[in-house]
Amino acid sequence: MNFKRRLLLSAFAIGLTGVMPGIASAADLIAIITPSHDNPFFKAESVGADTRAKELGYDTLIMVHDDDANKQSELFDSAIASGAKAIILDNAGADATVSAVQRAKDAGIPSFLIDREITANGVAISQIVSNNYQGAQLGAEEFVKLMGETGKYAELLGRESDTNAGIRSSGYHDVIDQYPDMELVAQQSANWSQTEAYTVMETILQANPEIKGVISGNDTMAMGAWAALKAAGREDVIVVGFDGSNDVRDSIREGGIKATVLQPAYRQAQLAVEQADQFIKTGSTGVDEKQLMDCVLINADNAGRLETFALSE
Amino acid sequence: MTRTLLMAAGILACLPMLAGCKIVKNPDPNSAAQTAANMTDEERMAVLVAEVYEPRLKPYMHEGARDAATVVAAIGAGLDAAGTSYGIPKASEGSPWNFIVEGSGKVIASNRASRAATIDVDVTGDGAADLAIQLGPVIKGTALRDATTFFSFSDFRDQIEFAKLARALNDTASAAIALPEGDLIGDTVTFTGAFAVPKQGDPILLVPVDLSVGGNQ
Repeated sequence: MNFKRRLLLSAFAIGLTGVMPGIASAADLIAIITPSHDNPFFKAESVGADTRAKELGYDTLIMVHDDDANKQSELFDSAIASGAKAIILDNAGADATVSAVQRAKDAGIPSFLIDREITANGVAISQIVSNNYQGAQLGAEEFVKLMGETGKYAELLGRESDTNAGIRSSGYHDVIDQYPDMELVAQQSANWSQTEAYTVMETILQANPEIKGVISGNDTMAMGAWAALKAAGREDVIVVGFDGSNDVRDSIREGGIKATVLQPAYRQAQLAVEQADQFIKTGSTGVDEKQLMDCVLINADNAGRLETFALSE
Repeated sequence: MTRTLLMAAGILACLPMLAGCKIVKNPDPNSAAQTAANMTDEERMAVLVAEVYEPRLKPYMHEGARDAATVVAAIGAGLDAAGTSYGIPKASEGSPWNFIVEGSGKVIASNRASRAATIDVDVTGDGAADLAIQLGPVIKGTALRDATTFFSFSDFRDQIEFAKLARALNDTASAAIALPEGDLIGDTVTFTGAFAVPKQGDPILLVPVDLSVGGNQ
């Protein structure tokens, strides 16, 4: 009862864009499961997958797991029960997701993962992984350059439970720690949140008024930090983010935040659908399961070409 | 690849013990596989790179290297065509083109104050710099890893381990660089190395596996 209600809520929270199987089965169904669309990044993924799937003649079932592995598990049951031909997934936990993907596989439904990888190989058909480590290295290289390879800086970390928070921080430090004159004076989580980043930044600034730069685990936190710096009259501080959001793009163009790193979320989602389509039709994607997709540095030079997590030529 | 290597390493490590040992079913906590599992990613990748760098990677680079002047000119004319003719096939969509080149040229400019030191080299002989050679100690990018065909992402646990592999390769290349002090401007350098070009017009940042002052090839 409780389970059923949650399932229905999950399925209808975002709105069912596909046709429920059983009512009509004119087209095959692809289930698209991502974290909450409150974050425009995940919305871009969902829209990218949805658009491509419809172009290729599929109906879609769009669902969100809110980074809750239990909810994700229920959504998988829902997708299986709906007779989906494939599942496109940005997953809710590298370990916790394996069993859900396995369950779909056992039911004959292939999964195509985007953005984040899982800890098992051979369960999903594709894992198109956003190379967060490489992206973080790019962001850090730009940050170090802007800092003149020296000075005090603070780091805003993402939500601890999210794999990418750790990966990005490791990537940042892989580069920055090779510069002995770069001094980390504060390192704090703001849980990916803009409002939290604002207060965290205020506190850091009070304790460390001499900081010269802030490197942030994502763009929403970079926006919060920048707002706090601006309010404190500290627009001299170098801020670098991660994700490539339109908000940060606009800030870069106004000379605020200095740089971010684009994860090609939209294209990645489309590519996953294309591989699903290929697999449904031929039984093979023709490519390796694990595919690493590089991120791109965004700064004043190319910010003008960025729109909704895609960079035009 | 890693698995094969680890197994090979495991078998090698076990050889001296075999004479005095019986093969038992339970996993030995001191076995090479177990040791590998207890290592950090950095340590495990450093071991792997120490095993492959001289015997496998360097010969691969020397065999696969194309003439730097030719490749640089081709990239200038069109990256995708140059990549198809001279590059390493892309691992996945969105991957940059990677190239392995050898050549020599005159040092036009130099930045040895940075931790990510570089020299700008003219390989086409027109007096303008065509590429920058990274001198470390900070080496940027993953060209050494990605220009090889024997390191595949699928063989590694995740992007972190795969990134540590690139870092270990860069550190090994960086440690091997021995150039005289000074800005070297006007000197001729001879090199073999790899670089990645994500898109047309991006600067070429070569990671050298061999680099020396003087000489023409």
